[in-house]
Amino acid sequence: MNKIESICIIDDDPITVFGIQKMLSLVVDCDDITVYRNGRLAIDGIKSRIEENKKAPQVIFLDINMPIMDGWQFLDEFITLPLHEKVRVNIITSSIDSFDLQNWEDFKKKTCHTITFNNKPIRKEHVAEITKIA
Amino acid sequence: MNGTKTIANNPLVKQLPTATVFTNKKFEVIYASDKFLSDFSFDSQHTFGKPINELFTTLSDNWENKLYNCLSDKSHNVNVSYNLNSATDSKWYKWSCTAWQNEANETIGLIIHFEDITDKKLKEEQVNTLQSLLDAMCEISKIGVWDYDIINNKLICCDVIRQIHDVSEDYEFSFDSALSAYKDGYSRNTVSMLVHETMTKGTSWNEKLQFRTAKGKEIWVQVAGMPTFMDGKIVGIKGTLQNIEKQVQSETKTKENELLLRTLVDNLPLNVFIKDTESRKILVNRSECDYMGVDNPDELLGKSDFELFNKDIALISRAEDLQVMETLTPILGRETINETKDGRISTFLTSKIPLKGNNGKAQGLVGISMDISDLKQKEQELRDLINVTSQQNKKLVNFAHIVSHNLRSHTANFSMLLDFLANEKNEEEKSNIIKMLTQASDNLLETLENLNEVVAINTNINLEKKPIRLNQRIVSVKRNLKAFLVNNNAKIVNAISEHTSIKVIPAYIDSILMNFITNAVKYKHPDRPPLITLSTTNENGYITLSIEDNGLGIDLKKYGDKLFGMYKTFHDHSDSRGIGLYITKNQIEAMNGKVTVASKVGVGTTFKIYFNEQN
Repeated sequence: MNKIESICIIDDDPITVFGIQKMLSLVVDCDDITVYRNGRLAIDGIKSRIEENKKAPQVIFLDINMPIMDGWQFLDEFITLPLHEKVRVNIITSSIDSFDLQNWEDFKKKTCHTITFNNKPIRKEHVAEITKIA
Repeated sequence: MNGTKTIANNPLVKQLPTATVFTNKKFEVIYASDKFLSDFSFDSQHTFGKPINELFTTLSDNWENKLYNCLSDKSHNVNVSYNLNSATDSKWYKWSCTAWQNEANETIGLIIHFEDITDKKLKEEQVNTLQSLLDAMCEISKIGVWDYDIINNKLICCDVIRQIHDVSEDYEFSFDSALSAYKDGYSRNTVSMLVHETMTKGTSWNEKLQFRTAKGKEIWVQVAGMPTFMDGKIVGIKGTLQNIEKQVQSETKTKENELLLRTLVDNLPLNVFIKDTESRKILVNRSECDYMGVDNPDELLGKSDFELFNKDIALISRAEDLQVMETLTPILGRETINETKDGRISTFLTSKIPLKGNNGKAQGLVGISMDISDLKQKEQELRDLINVTSQQNKKLVNFAHIVSHNLRSHTANFSMLLDFLANEKNEEEKSNIIKMLTQASDNLLETLENLNEVVAINTNINLEKKPIRLNQRIVSVKRNLKAFLVNNNAKIVNAISEHTSIKVIPAYIDSILMNFITNAVKYKHPDRPPLITLSTTNENGYITLSIEDNGLGIDLKKYGDKLFGMYKTFHDHSDSRGIGLYITKNQIEAMNGKVTVASKVGVGTTFKIYFNEQN
């Protein structure tokens, strides 16, 4: 099993969070999985990890439609964070809006982090494939 | 001298009143009258005994023959003209010779009379000059002259008249035949009557009549006549005759062209006008009259735009006119808005073209305007329709995305949970998954209910709007929310006048008021009790309801475009469903209204709802 040090899930839907967590437990070996209910909480959480000299998450599962701060607004701030290692950001969404796909293309060009776009529903095999160090 | 003695001047001859000389057969002067000596400035001492040819040095060559003829034929009368030149003028003399006979009827010499014919000669020359001038004038101007002698019933015509009648040069006119050349009917009657009036009353006239030449060609002539008086009595009529066929033809042609042009201009479905350099109208067509609301063009002619339109319109038009006339460059197809004095506003497609005079400068302009008001209105209607359609389309696409996204997220959850369930061995985990499936099902139901509500708002667009008293509705909503307001220590300040009435769908206004008021309380500032102020203003056909709170405020820079979106929440409240404002906005728009928001984080938010009072 793949060993990942730290994973974070950003989604306001408890069922999706439950699903991702369950699949992760089957495909990777990770002791540090953090869940944030929206982008704001995630940014604040990751910032404080950096301040505490904890390792930033290596893989992020990111929902787009969330209250307070959505996935795109999160990415806006996230790509400005002073991180030393590349992070893999997996967008998980049920959106098929071309606007969201365009946003994804734009972000890929703006950052050195890996960003993938994944439509729901996702299967265990797919989660295994996208849960690795960037 | 043979048979003739030189004698002293005969006293009888000397006193003769005319210039007279008596010569012998050799033409030597025997007697001479004093008048002769003085007329020719001869000295008496050197005159007598001298032959005539020595006295008159400039006699023509055959004078001698003529004088000899006189000697032989006593009845012969010789005329010899003599031209006496002096420094100032010349004189003409006529000689009359007769044979001089003695008692025995023998010719002994000549008696010569000298008659001064200078005046006659001059008059003759004058007459000749005048005649040739007249002939030249007739020939050049093609105006013939005629003269009718009433007493002798004789008509004299010049050659030009013969040319007009198309007869030979030696043709002699009778007055009756000349009259019968005029066309039967009006022309002949007129000329006969005019001639008669001249004969009886001495009137003069000048008339354009139709005429038939000898060869049967019909032409127009200009004929004039005036009486000739002698001793105060009318003795004749003289006048002129001119062939004016060409002028009449070109005049007719011009008139036809003018009529054609006028008919064309009048029946064009365009407003046509011509202005002078002062922008005064000097020609208008029927369309222009119809537009200006006048029956007669005279009501517009000579008037400038300042007299016909309001000042601001006239100023623009005058500036255009000046530009066209100064630059000599036409304005073509310019869209202009015109307002008549009675307040009709029309849109025109106007062209102004300079009219150049002979000096190359503009002497006015031609204007052509097409009323495109109907087109403009249709264009506007079409634009409005396009706006509405694209707005609808946008809403539809937005809604499709919402539906697709929400349904997909639920089905994705079902699919995932069912997959887990199929593979789960642990009973406890199984029941956990089933609990989540139930929750997912409830979520789906709620989503469907929300979507249903939105669809209902957008499909029931034919719900009738009714005027309602706004305050009554506010009171009713406040009553329904009483417990909620009291629990939150919220206060509502109602500044709306008692009589304010708006046209709305009653069910929607309740929902709208309920939503905004609950939101204002729900997102209150933690440091102060909620205060909501309601007020209205009236602007541009809208009654605007303003709902102002002192709550948390929203960062519009961040959330402005999502505020009224579906399932968007901006505060970390567990009871934010993210559906209220979306539905509210749909309800407002279903009533042809609109909603705007102003907000400051930490200060409060003001929503303005525009109720359309017109439709």
